[in-house]
Amino acid sequence: MTDLFKSRLQRHLREMAKYLRLVFNDFFVFALMFLLGGLGYGYSNVLKQLKMGLWWAPVIVVLVLLVTLQVGRFATLIEDADRVFLLPKERAMHAYLVAARRYSQGLAQTTQVIVVFLLAPFLRVALGWSVPQIVGLLVAQVILKDTLLRLDLASAYQVTGQRRMNEWPIKWGLGLVALAIGVWLTPYAAIVLAVLADGAVAVWLQRHWQQQQIRWREQIKIEDNRMLGIYRFFDLFTEVPMVEGTIKRRHYLDWLFKSIKPTHRQTYTYLFSRGMVRGTDFSGLVVRLTVIGMLLLYFVRGEWLPVLLAALFIYLIGFQLLPFFQQYDDVVFTHIYPIAPELRLKSFEHLVTLILGVAALLMWIIIVVANLSVTTAGIALVVELIEVWYLARVYTPRRLARAMKNKA
Amino acid sequence: MALEVSHVVGGYSQIPVLKDISFDVRDGELVGLIGLNGAGKSTTINHVIGLLTPHKGTITLNGVTIDQDSQAYKQQIAYIPETPVLYQELTLREHLEMTMMAYDLDQEQAWKTAHELLKIFRLDNKLDWFPANFSKGMKQKVMIVCAFLTQAKLYIIDEPFLGLDPLAVNDLLNLIEQRKKTGASILMSTHVLDTAQRYCDRFVLLHDGQVKTEGTLSELQAALPEAGESLNDIYLSMTKVDRA
Repeated sequence: MTDLFKSRLQRHLREMAKYLRLVFNDFFVFALMFLLGGLGYGYSNVLKQLKMGLWWAPVIVVLVLLVTLQVGRFATLIEDADRVFLLPKERAMHAYLVAARRYSQGLAQTTQVIVVFLLAPFLRVALGWSVPQIVGLLVAQVILKDTLLRLDLASAYQVTGQRRMNEWPIKWGLGLVALAIGVWLTPYAAIVLAVLADGAVAVWLQRHWQQQQIRWREQIKIEDNRMLGIYRFFDLFTEVPMVEGTIKRRHYLDWLFKSIKPTHRQTYTYLFSRGMVRGTDFSGLVVRLTVIGMLLLYFVRGEWLPVLLAALFIYLIGFQLLPFFQQYDDVVFTHIYPIAPELRLKSFEHLVTLILGVAALLMWIIIVVANLSVTTAGIALVVELIEVWYLARVYTPRRLARAMKNKA
Repeated sequence: MALEVSHVVGGYSQIPVLKDISFDVRDGELVGLIGLNGAGKSTTINHVIGLLTPHKGTITLNGVTIDQDSQAYKQQIAYIPETPVLYQELTLREHLEMTMMAYDLDQEQAWKTAHELLKIFRLDNKLDWFPANFSKGMKQKVMIVCAFLTQAKLYIIDEPFLGLDPLAVNDLLNLIEQRKKTGASILMSTHVLDTAQRYCDRFVLLHDGQVKTEGTLSELQAALPEAGESLNDIYLSMTKVDRA
């Protein structure tokens, strides 16, 4: 079983490495270095001005450590099929879970150490702590994290009814009590408390796991959510196939569809409009690009620069919308409905015109407000109109018609 | 003659799965398409609904091929897939409305039919649900309702009996019976042989991409006298011939 975890871990790490390479591209690393440099400089400036005896200093320390304590989840790498294939191996799964916890320690404890390390100058300056005291706090923090991960492991088993040992009041409460004692009394007391808690959970687990079943469905869900969180993060930088858009009913936007009459010609307008509004993939993209464009345009002044910027954003939105045309290709009815392909294309053109039109209008308003210049407003209006017309009515249908022909 | 499949050679790639297939479905007739997994049932259906283009041969539906007039061809077909597929962003009500729009049905008349169908399949209180909230059987019922909403000339039903509760199976068979009386034809693939034996007018037995035999139950019995009485026996003997 430990071997199974090892082979899964290897696969997992390879996958993560693949994405991390994409996330930490040159541009991002550059930006990150600037950000870290700036933050470090700011922190050192704050430290210089600090005096001892501030009432809020220990509160900050407790809060920071408490939040840090929750960072680093129990990564089991359990998969959906496991509840079928590994069910007969339930007892042997304990070794797997222990291996998983050992792996989870790595990232979790590194985070704890880094944060305490970063807090060390603050502890020295604001609380006047000695080095042994700080080291004591670090030890307490690490043991506390160990306890929390052990609670996660224990909660993989069905204990008493629906109650779980790693519910958030327990995790936060234990951390709060131990850290408060550590900061206001003495860190050594926190170590004692953490060791007691950790030991208690360990003894309990040792006694009980053999009689308990694993909460398969819950563990699978937890792991899925954990991975989804990671993929969502990667999705900000690059395309991740595992992140599927979710669907929201969005009742409050139903008025948008009122003008779409239920006629044969409008069939795809009916589908596309609802898909666009209720799906989060494409609508999110459009909204994000429009908002970023508007923000940038508010701060950019000049005669031609805003016009170029707006044109760029409209192009980006229009270009990103193209794949939406194929969104329903894997629903068989898209091919079976007795609807001429031209009508589908027309509906899509219509939708693109509308979306680009609204985005262009919003950006144009910002240009007008930010620049208060008749010339810029005029040029922007003309350029945007031509661009929207060209993208929606000429470029999009030409591209999609070619794509359709290639497929057939 | 509603559907006429003649000398069709076809498949997903250049390698043909169907090797010269011919059969027909007449007006007001329920024809069962029977065969093992991988015999070519789904491939045949995909050719008939126009998802695949035959390498050779023709498929004619009331005198129209898909190449002559794809709209007129598709207008006559309603399809119920084996695995239900729905538009994730549309509610049940919107699926029905979309079907009406796609087939250009009269809204008022169609909604009347829709409400009757929804009642039969106990979906009438779920009009505002999203597909994600439906169980597999419910999704299948949605497919049935959408298909029978259209006044199609040919219904193509891919393995309808698995996943439906017994009540729904019965209701579906009644619906099929009802539509047959109005002259509609049905092509249905299935593995549930005893139900097929009771309800189908004729059978097309596919094996390894070829039509092994075709005809009514008595014709099949006459063709394979040593095989046995039931469709099940005939079917088993047919596959045994190949295995030996």
